[in-house]
Amino acid sequence: MDILKQFLGRLHPLLVHIPIGFIILGLLLQWYDRKKKSYTKIIAIVFFWAGICSILTCITGYLQYLGEGYSFNTVKWHLWFGIATSLFCFMMYFKLAETSFTSFISRLPVVFLSVLLFLMISITGHLGGDITHGKGYLLEPFPNRIKSLFGYKSFEEKPIILTEENWESSLLYEDVVHPLINNRCVSCHSPKKSKGGLQLHTLEHIRMGGENGEILVPNQPDESSLYSRLVLPKDHEDHMPPKEKPQLTKDEIAVIKTWISAGSPTEVTLGELQLPKELFLSFFPKIEDRFYPDVEVAAVPTDSIAPIKDFGIHVQPISSSSNFLSVSCINKPDFTDNDFELLKPIKEQIAVLDLGGTQITDGIFEKLTTLPHLTSLKLDNTAISGQGIAQLGILEHLKVMNFTHTQFEASHVSAFGDFKQLEKVYLYQTKASKEVLDGSLENQDILDFGNYGLPKIASDSIIY
Amino acid sequence: MEPIERLLQEKLIREAQVKTRRHFIKDCATGLGGLALGSIFLGCDPLQPSSKPKQASFSERDLNPLATLPPPYAPKVKSVIYLHMAGSPSQLEMFDYKPVLHKLNNQDCPESLLQGKKFAFIKGTPKLLGPQAEFSQEGESGNWVSNYLPHFKKVIDEVAFLKAVHTDQFNHGPAQLFMHTGSPRLGRPSIGAWATYGLGSENQNLPGFVVLTSGGKTPDAGKSVWGSGFLPSVYQGVQCRSEGDPVLYIEDPKGISRDLKKSTIDAINKINKEEYTKYADPEILARINQYEMAYRMQIAVPKVMSIENEPENIKEMYGVESGKESFANNCLLARKLVEDGVRFVQLFDWGWDSHGTDHSTAVDLGLRNKCREIDRPIAALILDLKQRGLLDETLIVWGGEFGRTPMQENRGNKEMGFKGRDHHGDAFTMWMAGGGIKKGACYGKTDDIGFLGVEGRVSVHDVHATILHLLGFDHEEFTFEFQGRNFRLTDVEGVIIKDILA
Repeated sequence: MDILKQFLGRLHPLLVHIPIGFIILGLLLQWYDRKKKSYTKIIAIVFFWAGICSILTCITGYLQYLGEGYSFNTVKWHLWFGIATSLFCFMMYFKLAETSFTSFISRLPVVFLSVLLFLMISITGHLGGDITHGKGYLLEPFPNRIKSLFGYKSFEEKPIILTEENWESSLLYEDVVHPLINNRCVSCHSPKKSKGGLQLHTLEHIRMGGENGEILVPNQPDESSLYSRLVLPKDHEDHMPPKEKPQLTKDEIAVIKTWISAGSPTEVTLGELQLPKELFLSFFPKIEDRFYPDVEVAAVPTDSIAPIKDFGIHVQPISSSSNFLSVSCINKPDFTDNDFELLKPIKEQIAVLDLGGTQITDGIFEKLTTLPHLTSLKLDNTAISGQGIAQLGILEHLKVMNFTHTQFEASHVSAFGDFKQLEKVYLYQTKASKEVLDGSLENQDILDFGNYGLPKIASDSIIY
Repeated sequence: MEPIERLLQEKLIREAQVKTRRHFIKDCATGLGGLALGSIFLGCDPLQPSSKPKQASFSERDLNPLATLPPPYAPKVKSVIYLHMAGSPSQLEMFDYKPVLHKLNNQDCPESLLQGKKFAFIKGTPKLLGPQAEFSQEGESGNWVSNYLPHFKKVIDEVAFLKAVHTDQFNHGPAQLFMHTGSPRLGRPSIGAWATYGLGSENQNLPGFVVLTSGGKTPDAGKSVWGSGFLPSVYQGVQCRSEGDPVLYIEDPKGISRDLKKSTIDAINKINKEEYTKYADPEILARINQYEMAYRMQIAVPKVMSIENEPENIKEMYGVESGKESFANNCLLARKLVEDGVRFVQLFDWGWDSHGTDHSTAVDLGLRNKCREIDRPIAALILDLKQRGLLDETLIVWGGEFGRTPMQENRGNKEMGFKGRDHHGDAFTMWMAGGGIKKGACYGKTDDIGFLGVEGRVSVHDVHATILHLLGFDHEEFTFEFQGRNFRLTDVEGVIIKDILA
């Protein structure tokens, strides 16, 4: 008997489509026949059968509710609307067949019944869809903004912002743990969707636990599944959040652990608990380490790059999202100072310039001053001596310079003192060396004279 | 294009690639008749009313498959030098210091550790083998390194260690494939092929992906570890020999002068250009480019592959052995290649499979010799790149395909004459150095005997994700469509190891 019940129940998703078809057909015919009213009898038959099928559908639906273990709350509205729909089908039939079954029906306008029936079938269908595919299935493809208009967005991301000034006075639960659980867990554990009977949107609910019992044992993170499930292997069945959902970072897991270890307090600040700052560094606003200038430049039109490329110079954006260019003469060893004119159309955009191994002379420095965003400059393996290098001091973004294997003179090294952002100068195989300059420099640490060696040691020649 | 159209186009291209002249002639028997019939009915091709080639715009990539492309994100490095110790070095004698293992030396391995584990050779209950090297903390970072690597101590603050890498393969071939292609089975492109495909190569005269081998043998997994898989074959690694001609047949045959060669290529290209004006097929332009590149390579490759002109102090620093195939020579070549804009340089050194079956594979004898062979060259490579300002734009990756057991190998359940260790994939050490890497970092920890990772475990996919990140890619977005689906180097896994990034 149970088998039959379950089997008939499972016919429900199939049967539902029959009354839907009949009702829509009836409504369409009504609209088509709105003037002449010559098909009324036929339309009545359509609604009669719509009603019969609706009742069958309701019965199988009820069996499915019993057999598949849905809670009444989930199916409630779908069930009532379904029953109502079948009743309205019969009302429509009685009205059209003019059986004068009851007098109040004959007083109702047909259009009113038609509109109502259309609404009923739509609502019932939608509610049924929500049960099979999950709530919010229909609107899922839309962005959050639109979903929230329909009241579907199940949670709102709460940013965690700690700063140098306020981090010690921030509350551990209110300012860190609560938004963190909100952002990572609440989309599945809230009044709207409480998987495992667990809700995590308030502290009370966290303390209440879910169907597997309590999830928070004060001071014992390893006993609290609020923490212990986070650190299970990702493939473990009980790992949270589920494998395919965004995961907590290591720092976030550490914060949860800290909070539970401290006895899951509410009104305590990070400073009062004397927690280390390192634990929370990932919640501080990122100080972006930008190598390239923090300014916007316009994109270079392709046709002004073409002649430069055709000349044999390699030109390429730093990345596909950047307008800054990296320019290299790696394939153009016969590049001379005069060829620099060619680069004029892209002077604003050049951030990286590699003229290594070319025919340039010290005359190039004056020209280089016209590249306002130059960040990295390579002049290695050329004949330059550094005469005029001081002019580059006006380039406020210049960070790295490479003079490896050139005639760079020791006397020009002092010019680097006036450079604003300079981070590194490579002077290996030049006339400038540590010995020559002998500690007469202020900013030694940005200069790399190279000439490293690995002394011979006894073990070099021991064969085991 | 619709997915099905793309799939059909892929099928057409693949078919064209495997079609031989014989196939063509066979097809002609029926095909020509059809063509003739078609011309009787229609007179001409209705789809192409004009016999003039269509004015099409080709991307640089159509004409030159190695043309550079910008990475999606600002890259930290331009080039990668990947040092692979084929056979897998023993982390327990080099970087992963385990004093407790020393105390447990020669004791039976607890059964609990062996349950459910597969080993290549270990049978029954093996004995634990204490570290055979002496360890010390070096540099400002205080990271551990053994006395097998005395020169490495000098550069230890430049590198970031991954102490708990794991792989799921325990035999050389599959593990090497996994380490280089992200899959233990054949058919996937190697990291170098992905990098060259994604970024191209700046130097027009050199290949973008060069492979150098040493140690007497090539890796067990064969050339697939630098193969291009389903990517166009132009992105596969070019294996250069460090002995004799760097590339076979790169020299002109005897009696053919450079000028004659040039005029031959010019003549071929002239014909090809005429073909191009007729049919406007970009493949023809690509072919013209390739002839010209090959011609230029004949000069550029022997030049870059020659270490004779390097100054004596550099040769000494690396410990090169002129005219021989050696890891030291290859390290120096790697620097020269990167200096000349080669995108990816892959070094394989064979001979690290320290099972303890004989003198050369004993962890206290042969392994020490192997360590000596790489110690000076690696330290020299890092210092040399550094002094030339290249270390900041190059990534160096060091590792094997897996690690080695804390237990002494007992092949055939017998005690062996030499001290050796079996293959072990659950925890081993790798390191990275160069641009974007946090200098002196040490991430991950193994248990007291170095058997399992207990903190900061990272997978091979994680290593790949990190390498791609440094080159300017998001490993989840960097895909290639093949057989109807998008493929990634990291498949569906991989997390960037932020802890070793600067």
